[in-house]
Amino acid sequence: MTTEQTKSSTEDVKMDLFEDDDEFEEFDIEEEWADKEEGKEVTQQWEDDWDDDDVTDDFSLQLRRELENNTSKN
Amino acid sequence: MGEAHRRITDYLNKFSDAVSYQDVASLAQLFSFSSNSPSLLSLADALNYFQDANRLIKQSDKFSQFGEILAPIFRSLQSYRLGNLVDSYHAFEKFANAFIQEFRNWESAWALEALYVIAYEIRVLAERADRELASNGKSPEKLKGAGSFLMKVFGVLAGKGPKRVGALYVTCQLFKIYFKLGTVHLCRSVIRSIETARIFDFEEFPRRDKVTYMYYTGRLEVFNENFPAAEHKLSYALTHCNPLREANIRMILKYLIPVKLSLGILPKAWLLEKYNLLEYSNVVQALKRGDLRLLRHALQEHEDQFLRSGVYLVLEKLELQVYQRLVKKIYFIQKQKDPSKAHQLKLDVIVKALKWLEMDMDLDEVECIMTILIYKNLVKGYFAHKSKVVVLSKQDPFPKLNGKPVNS
Repeated sequence: MTTEQTKSSTEDVKMDLFEDDDEFEEFDIEEEWADKEEGKEVTQQWEDDWDDDDVTDDFSLQLRRELENNTSKN
Repeated sequence: MGEAHRRITDYLNKFSDAVSYQDVASLAQLFSFSSNSPSLLSLADALNYFQDANRLIKQSDKFSQFGEILAPIFRSLQSYRLGNLVDSYHAFEKFANAFIQEFRNWESAWALEALYVIAYEIRVLAERADRELASNGKSPEKLKGAGSFLMKVFGVLAGKGPKRVGALYVTCQLFKIYFKLGTVHLCRSVIRSIETARIFDFEEFPRRDKVTYMYYTGRLEVFNENFPAAEHKLSYALTHCNPLREANIRMILKYLIPVKLSLGILPKAWLLEKYNLLEYSNVVQALKRGDLRLLRHALQEHEDQFLRSGVYLVLEKLELQVYQRLVKKIYFIQKQKDPSKAHQLKLDVIVKALKWLEMDMDLDEVECIMTILIYKNLVKGYFAHKSKVVVLSKQDPFPKLNGKPVNS
């Protein structure tokens, strides 16, 4: 590795240290907002009843076809 | 010459009046370099032109009593204006240290907001100084220094008096520094102080600081794979964040979603769309379907992104839950054909399904996976080794996670 390459790769490493893609934006000192209605919006964002017994979706139908397929060899 | 003189004296008067009348809003504006306000920039020009501001400071007791604070901030502003950010940072740090000494003597917490501005400015100035150092091939260490300074400030605020409510803001600035530097282990000591010191009551802190704090500590919990704690903290941040701050909400969700997935909870499609988190769409779909091929594809497609944010391993571990879902589907498909035999899952049926999903595994490997699923209580049953059949429990053969992580 030439010295130039070493330098630029160390620089890359150092520049990487300057990154946090997800730095939280500052709130203004005077920033005010109303608290969300308790529970309402939050509960509508997630589903925990998705793990049902339904096997009528496309994937499941394809899976069934695949399993029923009598292939010649395992 | 007169104009420059006037501008400088103007600033000096503003400073001393702000202190006399405890006018924190006016005071804070005087240090806010990053605002690049016309008045600060023209003051900087005046200082660079006049070149003898120290004489003006010494001219009157009104100003000279704050000489240790005023002289360095003038120097800092001058360098800032000239684009010499390393010099600017040095002087700003001197200013900030002197300010803290004075701040300690003020009994009430009237000047806290000015302190917040200083904490913010010293961080961003240090970042810029480090970029200047790096671009000159030198070692960047100003941000680290700013971190040390802010730890000192934390110590000043960590007392019984009214100033203690400022400690959380300073903590959050420290988090931003440590995350940027990749030295997140340093977060531990401030977190311990905030959470265990008796002088602090978390509820007393300003909401905006609590939200930021929960975001960062939530992220730390994700790194440590403490999913229940991560869920609690990130959900707090989500619920209490200003709903108009969509960039922040997106960031919270970016970390909360993998956590929720690990707890068996899926985000709705509109959430991913609204906040542009579509990199999770296929992961969610894979879990819903039991589609291992889709999961692998999704991880590959967004590998860089997931690695950068540190959630790759969390998502990779979802594989077990996807296996559970796939096996469950096989069970239901069999049940539809022949309910009496459904509880017996032949291993080679599973092998066949996996092959279809482009996962070539032999009987031994699949046996291993099934054993793991049983061990982790994702499947209830036992393995009939000789006949290579998984015998499922008649009751609840595929226990749901119910908001708890997979047994480790």
